[in-house]
Amino acid sequence: MRKKSMILALISLLALSLLFVGCGGEDDSTATTAGSDEVIKIGFLGATTGGHADFGIKTLEGMKMAAEDLNKEGVLGKKVVIVEEDHASKQSEAANVVQKLIHRENVKAIIGDPTTGITKLAAPIAEDNKVVLMSAGAVGPNVVNTEDGQLREYVYRNTLLDAVAAPAVVKFLKEEEGWKKVALITSMNNDYSVGLSKIFKEALQNEGIEIVAEESIQDGDQNFAAQVTSFKSKKPDGIVFTGYYTEGGLFMKEVRKQGLDINMVGGDGLLGSTLWELGGEAVNGSMVYCGFMADPTMAEGKTKDFIDRYSKEHNGELPNMFVAQGYDAVMMIADAMKAAGSDDPTKFKEEIKKLENWQGVSGTITIRDNHEPLKSPVYLLEVVKDEEGQHFKVKAVIPVKG
Amino acid sequence: MFEQQIINGLTLGSVYALIALGYTMVYGIIQLINFAHGEIYMIGAFTGVMMVTVLGQGFFGSIIGAMIVCIILGVLLERTAYRPLRKSTRLAALISAIGASIFLQNAMLLWKGPQPVGFPQVINDAIYHIGSIEITKIQLIILVTSAVLMALLNYIVKYVKIGKAMRAASQDYDTASLMGININSVISFTFALGSALAAAGGVLVGMYFNSVAPLMGVMAGLKAFCAAVLGGIGSIPGAMLGGIFLGVAETMGVAAGLSTYKDAIAFTLLIIVLLFKPTGLLGKPIQRKV
Amino acid sequence: MTGMSSFLESVLDPYYIQVLILLGIYIIAALGLNLITGVTGMFSFGHAAYFAVGAYGAAILTVKYGVPFSAALITGGVLAALAGVVIGFPALRLTGDYLGIVTLGFGEIIRVIFLNLKITGGAMGLAGIARDTSIAIVYILVLVTIYVMYTLQNSRFGRALVAIREDDIAAESMGINISAYKIKAFAIGCFFAGIAGGLYAHLLQYINPNDFGFAKSFEFLCFVVLGGLGSIPGVILGTAVLTLAPEFLRSLSDYRMLIYGALMMAMMIFRPNGLLGGVDLRRLIFKNKYEKQAGRGTAAGG
Repeated sequence: MRKKSMILALISLLALSLLFVGCGGEDDSTATTAGSDEVIKIGFLGATTGGHADFGIKTLEGMKMAAEDLNKEGVLGKKVVIVEEDHASKQSEAANVVQKLIHRENVKAIIGDPTTGITKLAAPIAEDNKVVLMSAGAVGPNVVNTEDGQLREYVYRNTLLDAVAAPAVVKFLKEEEGWKKVALITSMNNDYSVGLSKIFKEALQNEGIEIVAEESIQDGDQNFAAQVTSFKSKKPDGIVFTGYYTEGGLFMKEVRKQGLDINMVGGDGLLGSTLWELGGEAVNGSMVYCGFMADPTMAEGKTKDFIDRYSKEHNGELPNMFVAQGYDAVMMIADAMKAAGSDDPTKFKEEIKKLENWQGVSGTITIRDNHEPLKSPVYLLEVVKDEEGQHFKVKAVIPVKG
Repeated sequence: MFEQQIINGLTLGSVYALIALGYTMVYGIIQLINFAHGEIYMIGAFTGVMMVTVLGQGFFGSIIGAMIVCIILGVLLERTAYRPLRKSTRLAALISAIGASIFLQNAMLLWKGPQPVGFPQVINDAIYHIGSIEITKIQLIILVTSAVLMALLNYIVKYVKIGKAMRAASQDYDTASLMGININSVISFTFALGSALAAAGGVLVGMYFNSVAPLMGVMAGLKAFCAAVLGGIGSIPGAMLGGIFLGVAETMGVAAGLSTYKDAIAFTLLIIVLLFKPTGLLGKPIQRKV
Repeated sequence: MTGMSSFLESVLDPYYIQVLILLGIYIIAALGLNLITGVTGMFSFGHAAYFAVGAYGAAILTVKYGVPFSAALITGGVLAALAGVVIGFPALRLTGDYLGIVTLGFGEIIRVIFLNLKITGGAMGLAGIARDTSIAIVYILVLVTIYVMYTLQNSRFGRALVAIREDDIAAESMGINISAYKIKAFAIGCFFAGIAGGLYAHLLQYINPNDFGFAKSFEFLCFVVLGGLGSIPGVILGTAVLTLAPEFLRSLSDYRMLIYGALMMAMMIFRPNGLLGGVDLRRLIFKNKYEKQAGRGTAAGG
């Protein structure tokens, strides 16, 4: 009997503690609702733990910098507060986080997610609840519109779209680098990679470049010996690699190990120092295109200020694309709020649609009629090794016209 | 090209085998699927990196350092997470193992961040040509090191007193303890041996692929466990055979253009083998007493 | 039903509703697994696969073929049960850990197939699913599931399953066709996983194969083992604790999963039979009635 009463006590304790924590949360939310008139809350949706945490952490850094800048004067006389929640890249948790940001924190806008999949998950929730969702990283299809092509009113993004960038890059590779035959590598369990490969395939065909081999890999793979061995004999001029940097670095290592002297090109999934930390010398000459590159020698105006400030605060580290896009996303929202004279999402979303040649730290952004951003220019970067060690260097700046 | 893929497969397979040995030995004695074993392998790889970067060790230093750290960790893990559950149901111990695995993964994520870390180059890579086959120095080192470690294990289990005690305990746990074998120390020793082999596997993989990440143990652990079951869980030669078999099959599958189905290859093979030989390739048939 | 939903939605904030719906869905799936692992004693480490079959089955039917939600949900459940039977036939010849690892393998194979199929959207996932799952529907189905499970467990069928778990040879010699019973239990368990999956897809509105990996299968297993194998209230409690814990631990941000792992170890070490393992709620509530047979009760409860 003693045992049973112990168990009963244990259960009631558990139930009580759950209730207590639940109520604790409730109190917290009433407090924040009361305070929501004096501040403008902007939610961060992203992972700060787990495998994709790097994108989330950088976006958040940019958002916090933007809030700091805005709070010198305030927006509509209010302070901007960034509310952060981690979902560790789990979909069910991401859905919980979006609901929590909207209903418990009463955010006016959500910045994120840096990945397409979770942005697609968050989009209908934001749309239904009339809260603006601005993704500072999603590049896949069907984000600002639904699957059947209907435009969403509350969902936007400020990224360089692959459909804009890849054709420009392919054209450059054909005309300036003389590529005629390529091997196309796709990471099949990565939605970004699958989508990008489709876009590249079309661009390559349009430019008349032959795809001599199509190989698949998976995110998380470490061993690419088999894939490289199988396309080696077809002698491609270059490799189009649509996955992420972790696999990209290791893949090139294997390419060099097997004695092939060709370079790789890929999207911003390859953008990160991890590429050479894992790939070593093998990634020298690898090319990556992206919507932003911090180059203190070339930058001017507010981009330069932004780079200088970030590197001062981070021991000389330069801001990456996610920092810049996170920063711009908050600034776009703030500018739209100022233009609308209101922090009501139903009002300021109209001003987001009107943004044209908007100057951000990451480039010029126009929101087109189809709600997709047109961002210029495309930065084509190359990994070089010099006295500073390995780093990305701007190889070409390719302007994009609408 | 076929021979080349065999070499690639053997290299991968010998690492699977090193990890699989830890699963199989532990299972042989206490019938526990030690799900945190993949994390020991991952921590071994990180220790290897730190032996080089922090303590300036070379190849042998980093392997031995990783082994020592993982032996301590493995024994500690058994004491805290498994020993209190030895008399409980096997699922309880399994959940505790999953908990330990989540704990260790996230501890490393917090400490090292999610991004993979490169392995400092401690061996100058070179390519040797044997006929039409190319074999890199690192591949050769992996093959030789795994062979030496497995031979050593075989010696310990067959000829050293504690190894004999291990075999006795895996034959019949209760009788062994009645015969004066200290079961607790045998189990600790088993965890130590398994963890040391996993640590070596971690360092070798880290060097081969030049990448060490907190989540690397998840798939590797699962595949190695598959290898152990494939070979017949509880059987030491079975784990070696299973590991090599799986490594070669997976590499061949990828070479044949099935790489999108890569993770499924290991499991499909496993299922086919188990349907025909329900206790694995070298497993003993289960005798059930009524 | 819609009236009840709108009432609940007016008193609870949508974040709570979201979390509670998710909890209800997980309870349905976990009760299905409980029938397989808890009652019949068959290890299944691939429950997320049947959950995925139900999710994709129902979502494809509503999105691509315009099938009504209720019909799609049931079809999803039936598809999952069929998948269970197809996998169960060969696999159920195995026992113990071997069965566990084979179900885990099948689970991964199903995930990889979804990753490569066109109709599932591959790695891009399936989007544009309507949010048809409401809190009333979920909790009505939770009640239905509890009722079905309770009736099953206390029927001749359920007692046969327990007999198989305790000693399959003895059960067989008593005239129980163990293969048929095992397959039936497996199919029923998978059916509920499929129903839960269909609800899940119509809650999240976007599904992706990577969400249905072995990590989710182990999550379901943890719900069942942690709550108490075979105990319906135990499974519900276990699911509640493990689904709500990450939400409550959210304030610990980066340390969240670390603590979650430690919590799992600690709970198993202190309650190896699960939170409610070996506890019979009826016996606790109607204490006097059972007091007379206390001797027997304690032996079984220990």
